[in-house]
Amino acid sequence: MKAAVRIQQEDFSQDEEISALKASSRRMGGIATFVGCARDFSEGRDVAEISFDAYGSMAVSEMNRLRIDAIARFGLLDARIVHRICTVTAGDNIVFIAAGAEHRVAALEACRWMIDELKQRVPIWKKETTPQGVAWVVPHP
Amino acid sequence: MIKVLFFGPVVERVGKNALEVGYRADMTLQELRDELALHYPHAFEIVCFFAVNGQHVRDLSMTLADDSEVTFMAKFSGG
Repeated sequence: MKAAVRIQQEDFSQDEEISALKASSRRMGGIATFVGCARDFSEGRDVAEISFDAYGSMAVSEMNRLRIDAIARFGLLDARIVHRICTVTAGDNIVFIAAGAEHRVAALEACRWMIDELKQRVPIWKKETTPQGVAWVVPHP
Repeated sequence: MIKVLFFGPVVERVGKNALEVGYRADMTLQELRDELALHYPHAFEIVCFFAVNGQHVRDLSMTLADDSEVTFMAKFSGG
């Protein structure tokens, strides 16, 4: 089985990730997922492609810490985080987050919390290619 | 020797993704930051996070050990 926390070039399968999450506990009654994907428009500009850079070892370490924190904070049964580091175009998957809990509220709140925290804590940077040139993305608050 | 790493937008402004700085006893993260900022002021305009050996560090008065890996990072934009 693939690790619960990964960075990888290739696309991920949401079905496989959810199956792996469900396999961790038969007590799971609610699963919330978030999929971040590439857009073709950003900040008033067309976006041809998005590429990423990451401090790989620290990114995985922070994502593992984030998963453990989420499990403790929301009483989850399990959680999974996968982030692609590659070049993507509109519609391609970028990040997958899943939270599994006994009930829906914890799963939904944890999923939202994990993607918000990932953006604050995990050393990954996004660069957009537009007709005006190539520019690193300035994060939104 | 202190190994210094850069990623993403900081690499473009420094012009390389790594460099080495000679170790000095009692050297702090703040001193290293200030020294590098003199050489790469444009890059350090966007540096707002620091890591030592892959761990976030917020206290710049931290003393660095020899062979430390120090990273100066811009705001993250993953996800």
